[in-house]
Amino acid sequence: MSSLVFLLTRSAKNSFLEILRKPAKLVLWIFVIAAIGGIFILSLFTRQSVNSFLDLIWLEGVLFLLILIFAIIAIQKGLSNGDAIFDMSDVNLLFVSPVNSRKILMYGIVRMAKMAFLASFFILFQSNTLSTSFGVGIDGVLMVLIGFILAVCLLQIVSLLIYSLTNGKPARKLTVRLVSVAVFLPLITYIGVQLVKNGDPLLALENTLRSPFAAWTPVVGWASHGTVSLISGDMSGGFLFFGLIVLAGALLILYIALSNPDYYEDVLVATETTFEKKRGIAEGQINTEATSTRKVKVSRTGISGFGASAIFHKHLRESFRANRLGLWSLLSILTVLGAVLFSLFLRGEGSGILVLLQVLMWMQIFFIGTGRGLKELYTHYIYLIPESSFRKIVWSNLELMFRIMVESLFIFCIAGLIMGAPFLLSAAAFLAYTLFSFLLLGINYLSLRWTGADISMGLLMFIYTIAVILIMLPGLIAAIFLGSMFGDIGVLIGMGILTLWELIAALGCFALSKGVLHRCDMPVMKPGGR
Amino acid sequence: MIDVHGITKKYGKLVANDNISLSVAGGELAILVGPNGAGKSTLIKSICGLLRFQGSVTIDGHDNHTPEAKRRLGYVPEFPVLYPMLTVAEHLEFIAKAYRLDAWEKNAEELLQRFELDDKKMKLGKELSKGMQQKVSVCCALLPQPKVIIFDEPLVGLDPHGIRELKAVISELRDQGRALLVSTHMIESMEENWDVTYIMVKGRIERVCRRKDLETNQSLEDLYFTITEGRKQEDTK
Repeated sequence: MSSLVFLLTRSAKNSFLEILRKPAKLVLWIFVIAAIGGIFILSLFTRQSVNSFLDLIWLEGVLFLLILIFAIIAIQKGLSNGDAIFDMSDVNLLFVSPVNSRKILMYGIVRMAKMAFLASFFILFQSNTLSTSFGVGIDGVLMVLIGFILAVCLLQIVSLLIYSLTNGKPARKLTVRLVSVAVFLPLITYIGVQLVKNGDPLLALENTLRSPFAAWTPVVGWASHGTVSLISGDMSGGFLFFGLIVLAGALLILYIALSNPDYYEDVLVATETTFEKKRGIAEGQINTEATSTRKVKVSRTGISGFGASAIFHKHLRESFRANRLGLWSLLSILTVLGAVLFSLFLRGEGSGILVLLQVLMWMQIFFIGTGRGLKELYTHYIYLIPESSFRKIVWSNLELMFRIMVESLFIFCIAGLIMGAPFLLSAAAFLAYTLFSFLLLGINYLSLRWTGADISMGLLMFIYTIAVILIMLPGLIAAIFLGSMFGDIGVLIGMGILTLWELIAALGCFALSKGVLHRCDMPVMKPGGR
Repeated sequence: MIDVHGITKKYGKLVANDNISLSVAGGELAILVGPNGAGKSTLIKSICGLLRFQGSVTIDGHDNHTPEAKRRLGYVPEFPVLYPMLTVAEHLEFIAKAYRLDAWEKNAEELLQRFELDDKKMKLGKELSKGMQQKVSVCCALLPQPKVIIFDEPLVGLDPHGIRELKAVISELRDQGRALLVSTHMIESMEENWDVTYIMVKGRIERVCRRKDLETNQSLEDLYFTITEGRKQEDTK
């Protein structure tokens, strides 16, 4: 058996055996598979009338946007370090072995495809949304999955090629940047023309998506248009665009393999950078700013505060140094812009602001961990500061709470104005979102306190997500039940009940997680292998 | 000043520390040695209150989780983790403010000079090399002038100047009457200064050795190999 086939098959076998040996991992996998199966079955029973489905062109738009984000990341990676398709173990053991370098490249690409497949699993969780919003069945969801995997694989190859062509050559880097913009120029021009012609942004967007400019945009357009063509039964169109992706990928691999058999140096930097990032995370450096290559100007310096409040002032200093907008990160801006776009779509819908609130609450469950307060738990400083555990927890989360309040204020003011929602409803949504974030912080600490942080991060995330659902459930049931009894004003009453429940539950969670800093192990993040 | 009684730390079925007791008095330098996976870092993290455990730990008579104990404790971790968006000077300022220190500036300046960091005060944490980060980590631990200082592999990653300075600092701290516990693989680098050595094997303290207990011409390294490899030979028999 070839050594590379042996490596691939044995790694897969060992990963499977590891799942069987670790009950927590096994339970997690069973839950994920059951959840995907459950969502599939649910999607079969929640079919709406055909008239209520959104036009598939909007699915093409969503896919276009999603793949565009991956394309931007791939180009940026290509211009900096390239994409890591190998592990350090490959570099140390395979690269120095007498195995043909082209075969090793193929091995890397097979592994990369496997990773793209795993990364696209989240699409399966969207099958119910795809079904209820666009009337897409299981076959359609699989088409979305295939289109996404093909696009991600091709983008990784493009990233590798960009790095290989531009490494250490500033002029070529500039050319790649110009070409990258030029590729989207016809599309941008067309959308501009449509906007001037129609004046309605939504109509301009729809016309652009229906135009060949969107469909023929390399990779992004090919994948999104190919997927939607196949879903809508246009087999020739679908195969044409998917075929284009496969052909482009094969040609690029051929080019890399034939033109640059000594590609080891080109992949080394990306592999080492990824390895260093993983090691840093395992050693407690989970702050993404540590690995950012962005130049930071140090102008104002110094930290105020005294005792535990110094943590809050440190966070302010860090945030204002990391972002030009201070407390507002890139994520905040994207969230507000996303909410604005969402509001435009839901303009005129009576319950639009509630749908927006629901989406933001789901997102916040996973984004709350990006706050500096929770990140402090991964380093020793907060544990050793001679102050009470409670004071340290409060001060370390104050910066995040301020950020969320400001974000929430912006989101629901703008969304309320766009959607023409009543002031009291917007205010209630603002309160519900802010207090929900407060509750999520409490649940995070409670999960740590309850488990002692002596479990894997995957299982901890699982417990946390289940805890969020269980803790929110009584409040949601009471809000819906009591709200439905009061006619028009019932929505406001329901929101009031939900908000009150969030506050009570959050205070309860914080009270129950008392002393978390000395009753749990300092958590360690173990980034998984590829 | 450091009193550890019956620490047991388990990770699932794995017993990382098995009923460990040790003590380090003021003016004493204790060395913790042992092969990889012996449980040294787990023990140190437990003493510092970063892990849960069975047993008790007191720092200068205070339970290790109390603010009183933390005020008396300095810890240099195995892997230095700095705040990427804070400058070197701000790291020290943060520690000073969080620990409510008075007139700390002169002490901070001296530490920075000693570890050749005075020209890097405005450098961000993320801009420093691993060795430089380790030096900042040492400065942060020493700034509050703690009575007890615990070092986990402090010499790893340091340049020769850093190693010499840190060894000198450790000697001075001992002479000032502070209690020091140092975990290290570099036995020879601590050969001159140690007072008591704890040799750990498989989660237990296999041997406690005071300097006077060593036979003539016997080095700490000789003793270490006698304990760790002698035991291995016995195990195979």
